[in-house]
Amino acid sequence: MTEAPAAILVPHGTVARGPRHWLHAYAVMVRWHLASLRLWLVVLTIVQLLAGVGFVLGIALFFSHIPTTAALFVSTGVPVINLLTVGMILGPQLVADQRSNGSYEYLRSMPVSRSVSAMAWYTVCLLGGVPAVVVALVVAQLRYDLPLHVSPMIVPAVLLTSFAGTMLGYALGHAISSPMATRMVTQLLVFVVFGFAPVLYPLSQMPRWLGAVNWWLPFRHMAVVTRAALTPGAHAAVLSGYVVLGVWAIVCAALAGRALGRRP
Amino acid sequence: MTSHPPRESQVRLASQPGPSDDWTFRVEDLTKRFGAVVANDAITLSVEPGEVYGLLGPNGAGKSTLVKQTIGLLKPTSGRITLGRFDLVADPDAARQLCSYLPQVQMPIESFHVTEAIELAGRIRGGSSKDIGIRTASLIDALDLGEWRNALGHSLSGGVRRLVGFCMAIVRPGRVVILDEPTNDVDPLRRRLLWREIRALGAHGCAVLLVTHNVLEAEKSVDRLAVIHKGRLVAEGTPSSMKAGDRRHLRLQLMLTPGTATPEPPAWAGPPVRVGNNLVTTIAEADAAIAIVWAAEMTAAGVAEEYALAAMTLEDAYIRLTSHMSNDEGDESD
Repeated sequence: MTEAPAAILVPHGTVARGPRHWLHAYAVMVRWHLASLRLWLVVLTIVQLLAGVGFVLGIALFFSHIPTTAALFVSTGVPVINLLTVGMILGPQLVADQRSNGSYEYLRSMPVSRSVSAMAWYTVCLLGGVPAVVVALVVAQLRYDLPLHVSPMIVPAVLLTSFAGTMLGYALGHAISSPMATRMVTQLLVFVVFGFAPVLYPLSQMPRWLGAVNWWLPFRHMAVVTRAALTPGAHAAVLSGYVVLGVWAIVCAALAGRALGRRP
Repeated sequence: MTSHPPRESQVRLASQPGPSDDWTFRVEDLTKRFGAVVANDAITLSVEPGEVYGLLGPNGAGKSTLVKQTIGLLKPTSGRITLGRFDLVADPDAARQLCSYLPQVQMPIESFHVTEAIELAGRIRGGSSKDIGIRTASLIDALDLGEWRNALGHSLSGGVRRLVGFCMAIVRPGRVVILDEPTNDVDPLRRRLLWREIRALGAHGCAVLLVTHNVLEAEKSVDRLAVIHKGRLVAEGTPSSMKAGDRRHLRLQLMLTPGTATPEPPAWAGPPVRVGNNLVTTIAEADAAIAIVWAAEMTAAGVAEEYALAAMTLEDAYIRLTSHMSNDEGDESD
C-alpha cells in the first residue's frame, strides 16, 4: 500500500479565495454535476430530442400543408424549450429530490462559493441543452427547407436564454423549502411556457391582456432574441428583449445566491 | 436572547489568520432557538487538535443542530464558534473549507464510481490531482474496499456506501473533521479499520468531532466526550471520569420472561430501568452476593429467563445523565 503524501494528510490551515481558486472549484464542480447526472444522461437526451425534434415534426401533423411561416415560428421557438428543460424544469426538481433524500445539506456544506455552484450548474444545463437545439434546427431545415439564417447573435441569445432560465429554476429550487411545492411550481411553469407564452406561436395570436402579461415574463423575450438570431432581416423588440432577460437573469441569480447562503 | 451580528473587524480577522498555531475548536455559550424550542442551550466545549471528541445524546438532543451551525448551515441565536483565530459563524466560507463533514444520511453518489466520488471530494477540497489519487488508493486499501473500486454508488450496500462517504470526508481532511454516525451499517471487521483511520486523523493533527448515540462504541474510541440532553451539555470528560460516579458499583441485568410484570426491586438496588424484557439496575459491590441469590430466585421462579452481573459501563452513566435508555446496542440505525 502506498502511503499518502503528507501534504494531503496534514490538514491545511488556509482559506483559499480569489480567481484561481474559483476556476479550480468551478472545473471540479462541473465534473461533479456531470457525474451526478450520469445515470440520467440517456433519458435526458431522449427527453430533449423528443421535446425538440418532436415539436418540429409534430406541428406538421396539425396541417395538411404547413405554411412556411408557421414552420419557421415553431422551429425557432423550439430552441427555447430545449434550453429551458434542464435548467428551469429539471434543475429545481433535482434540488427537491436532494431535499427529500437528505443530501441537500451535504451539497451545501461543500467548500465552494455560491457563484461557483451556480455557474457550474449553468454550464451543465447549457451542455445539456445545446446539442438538442442543433439537432432540432437541422431536422427543421431538412423537413421544411426553411429560410434559416444563423447570425453570430445566436451566441449571446443562447447563453442569456439558458442563463435566465437556469437561474430562475435555481432560485425556485433553493428558495422553496418544500419539495412538493417546488415540483408543483415547475409543473406550472411547463404549463405556462408551452401553452400561454408566445414561444411557439406569435404574440398576435394571444389576447391583448395576456400579451401584456407576457411582456413582464422572460419567455417571450427568450423567443424574440433567439428567433432574431436564426432568421434574416430586422426584428422588433430585440434590444428590449435582451434588457428584460438580463434583468430577469440578474434578479434570479441574486435570489438564488441569497437562498443558497441562507442560514436560518 | 438576541443574535449578535459579527463586526466587520471580526470578519476581516477571520479572513487573515495570523501566524498562530492555535487550532483549537471552541464552542462558546452557543444557543440556538427555533421559535420557542431551544435546540442548543448555552453549550460550551472545546476540542484540541489530535483529539477524538465524542458528542453523545439521544435523538433530538441537539447534536446535529450544533454541527450544522459549525459548518455554516444554521446561524446561532447567540454565542460563538471558532477554530483558532477563525470565526466560523462570521465566515461560513472558512467554516466549509476548514471543516470536513460526513453527514448522517448517505452521500449522494448513486451515479458516481467509488474512486471518482472520493477523488472529486478531495479535489473540491483543494488537493492536487496526483496527491488525491495516491490518497484515494491508500484509503480504498486501508478500508478493504478494493472490490468496489470501480462500482457505481447505487449498486453498493449501505455499509460500503457509508465507508465511501467516510473516505470522501477524510480524503483531504480539514482542521476539524465532523463524523455523524460514521459506523452506521458498517460490518464489525471494517469498523475496526475505520477506527484506525479516525485515530490516524488525530495523529496528523485533526480535531475529530464524532457525533453518535452508540455509547458502547464511543467508550472504546474517544479521548473525551460530551453528553448533550435536551439541548444542554449535561456532562463532559473522559470516558473513565464519566464513570467515576459508578465506581464500586455493579450493573445487574435480568432478562425477564416475556409477559411477566416488573418485579418489585429489593431495597439494596438502585432504581430499575426496563426496556422490553430487559431490566437493568445498579447495586453496590458489597451487595453482589445477595444480588446473585435474588436474581437466581427470580430465575427459578420463572420471572426471569437469565441474569448477568457486570462492571458498570459508560452506557450506565449515560442513562443516569439522560434518564434515557439507549436501545441501539447491536442496532446501529438511528
